[in-house]
Amino acid sequence: MSAVSGGRGTIAVTGVGAVTSLGGTARETFERLVRGERGLRPLTVFDGAGYRTTIVAEVAGLEVPAEVESGRRRDASRTSTLALMAAREALDESELPREGLRVGLVVGGTTAGMLETESLLSVLVSPAGEVDEAARKEALARMLSHPLSAPTDKVARELAPFTRIRSLSSACSSGANALVVGATWLALDLVDAVVCGAADALCRVTLGGFGALGALDPEGARPFDRRRKGLTLGEGAGFVVLERARDARARRKAALCTLLGWSSRSEAHHITNPEPTGEAPARAMMTAMRRAGLGPADIDYVNAHGTGTPLNDPMESNAIARALGRDVERVPVSSQKGQIGHTLAAAGAIETTISALALVRGIIPPTGGLEEPDPACALVHVIGAPRDQPLRAVLSSSFGFGGMDTVLCFGSATAEAPEHPRAGRVVVTGSAALTPAGVATGDGLAALPSVPAAQASVPAEILALDPDRARRLDRSSRLAAVVLEAALAPSLRGEEPAADPTGHELGLVLGSAFGAVDATALFMRRLREKGPRLVSPADFPSLVPSSPAGHVSIYHHLRGASVVVADLATSGEAAFAQSHELVAAGEADALVAVAVEERSTIVEQVLAVVFAEARAQAASPRTEPRAEGASAIVLASEEHARAKGLMPLAAVHQVLVFDEHAEALSELTRPEGRAVVVSCDPTSRARDLVRGSRWADAAQLPWPAQQGSHEAMGGIALAVATAVLARGDADTTLCVGTARGRGYAVVLVKGSEGTARCP
Amino acid sequence: MQSSTSSGSDLREKLKELLVSELNLVGRDPASIADDAPLFTRERGGLGLDSLDALQIAMLVEERFSVRVPEGDEARPIFASIATLADFIAGAAGSGGERG
Repeated sequence: MSAVSGGRGTIAVTGVGAVTSLGGTARETFERLVRGERGLRPLTVFDGAGYRTTIVAEVAGLEVPAEVESGRRRDASRTSTLALMAAREALDESELPREGLRVGLVVGGTTAGMLETESLLSVLVSPAGEVDEAARKEALARMLSHPLSAPTDKVARELAPFTRIRSLSSACSSGANALVVGATWLALDLVDAVVCGAADALCRVTLGGFGALGALDPEGARPFDRRRKGLTLGEGAGFVVLERARDARARRKAALCTLLGWSSRSEAHHITNPEPTGEAPARAMMTAMRRAGLGPADIDYVNAHGTGTPLNDPMESNAIARALGRDVERVPVSSQKGQIGHTLAAAGAIETTISALALVRGIIPPTGGLEEPDPACALVHVIGAPRDQPLRAVLSSSFGFGGMDTVLCFGSATAEAPEHPRAGRVVVTGSAALTPAGVATGDGLAALPSVPAAQASVPAEILALDPDRARRLDRSSRLAAVVLEAALAPSLRGEEPAADPTGHELGLVLGSAFGAVDATALFMRRLREKGPRLVSPADFPSLVPSSPAGHVSIYHHLRGASVVVADLATSGEAAFAQSHELVAAGEADALVAVAVEERSTIVEQVLAVVFAEARAQAASPRTEPRAEGASAIVLASEEHARAKGLMPLAAVHQVLVFDEHAEALSELTRPEGRAVVVSCDPTSRARDLVRGSRWADAAQLPWPAQQGSHEAMGGIALAVATAVLARGDADTTLCVGTARGRGYAVVLVKGSEGTARCP
Repeated sequence: MQSSTSSGSDLREKLKELLVSELNLVGRDPASIADDAPLFTRERGGLGLDSLDALQIAMLVEERFSVRVPEGDEARPIFASIATLADFIAGAAGSGGERG
């Protein structure tokens, strides 16, 4: 099947919003940036005693309102508050008519409610006797109130309705990747408009962690300066509204600018240090320009990542020079991180609002803090005063831990982007699951073995990896690396990743609900007992929610985009949906959808409390013991699979995302042939939705006993479905997973030629 | 807490064990690490560590020996090998930099 032409249309930015240390709106921030103001001041949100520096870019006077729901206090967070403010500003500016429009929401983050979680953890890690049992129980009950998806849920509740929502993390490129996901949704016509952005608040873990890495400049960040010593930690949020330019025109809404191109890549190099030649960022810049139909001669400004760390700035200067060629001598470059700090996940989104306003106003803000450019950063710097000049196109770069690099290309309000070919059918070319019983692929996956009683953890011998390359991998990363290797084996015949120094273009979307909860608790215990100077620099990167994706991309040399998504018990389904969207939209030839959840003492304690309450109210049938596990499903465009000679195990027929108000899955289709429901979701919600659908009379695959329960189980069910189809046990399968009433329904069909095509 | 009466060779052995366990150098026998083996290259039996390991070692030295390792270029000669690191710790301890 040949690639079909896009119908994507040019994407317009019709609203921006930002909260930073320099202002409560995008425009106030921009005006003060242009004036060269620096919003760096002493920390007040928590006690800074013992930290290497307390100069931060804090949002002054932020009130975090308490929320009450059905008589119980709901946990608000500083990050959620920042996100809500900026998202509301962007939506207000866009004047988007919500009636009858399908509006999406994509939110990136790294810390979510970490600041608030730290206080709870400090109660939980207190020595027995120091806190009473009631305080400990209260802390436990609230402990999981702040997963990565919490700010997304908050914005979704407050600014409803949204037809599709997603939470993602790719460390400090999260904000930029939120726009990539939003653009993909528009390209696939899944939404009519999408609110995209990211938020991060200051917290002890990041201030202690970046301090331990020696990455903070006590005198304030000085990007590209020869005297620079590191970044200044900031906080804030940035959001934009994206819609098709033709839709904005039709409703007579003037666009601020256009999003013309983008690219995400992984360095596959090191968890904290950038690869010094800047090859991956340079390639991302070149791909983003090509995607926009532009070349270096069309670019008038580069909004740099420019953190001010000794390693980032020369690497980025190399990358800009490689990408722009001779035009590097003409194109001004500036970074705002010496003025509003490094706002981590929010950075790429805030910088999007700056790029948009720079295009509107024809003004390039200066690099605050830069006085003496480092000769190793030979760029056209904007020092002291802004530059007035009409701008045609702007590149904005964001680089994250794990080497997750994303570049966005913006054009003027009237610019047109070329059409981008979409993929035809998306097929599955490999799948595997990892349970406490071991790794399962092929027939072993179709008939997943029962787990021996009392075996809730994956045995150590199954997690054997190359000891040298795997020494920094935390448990989630190990689980993910092992299951990914098993799923890739048939996809990579003759292309063994470990033996291939240049790596390959495969990307990775990893679903995980809670991340490294126990490791965060350990980090907090050290912080409390030994002080901020003695927290572990090597452990800090593993606390970032995107770290398993970073570690796995490094271990397996994956150079495509890598990102983590989170959606509580349906995080595995979210990873599958996200991978499918990116391949279907032609963003990647192939991606691996991974789901992973490690055992966690704290999560188990918390859920014991939560489920005891739920059982008392007879609200939840989930009584299976906790376990851990992982899954990996390789998705590829049918063309790519054919070109590589890969046999499709299954093909994706339909991925339906539904919200808590869905009464029936009326849009759910059922292809011809023997249909089997493969679902591990034990909730009555999932059962009722299947019963009320076209799949009501389909056979049900008996779910193997004693699998235990964990948040990656939905990914395992999807992997099982691919194997059931590959073995010929069914012609089509349905997997349904729900969390808090929302959920995903995935219909797969047989992978071989002649089966039903995706409508 | 490391005592100032420890002999230099005790300190070196302790450091080797600390590095193997804390940097998760699985399969590496502490006894097989030569005193003068370079830490940051694999040549001459070196450990092939990187700058993130250097930060971790500096933190561990501060925690276990109450000796603060300088940051930046000053740290380079200290981190050359187990021997130079042990000499630095013993020297700092001898000059009153050590508690305990």
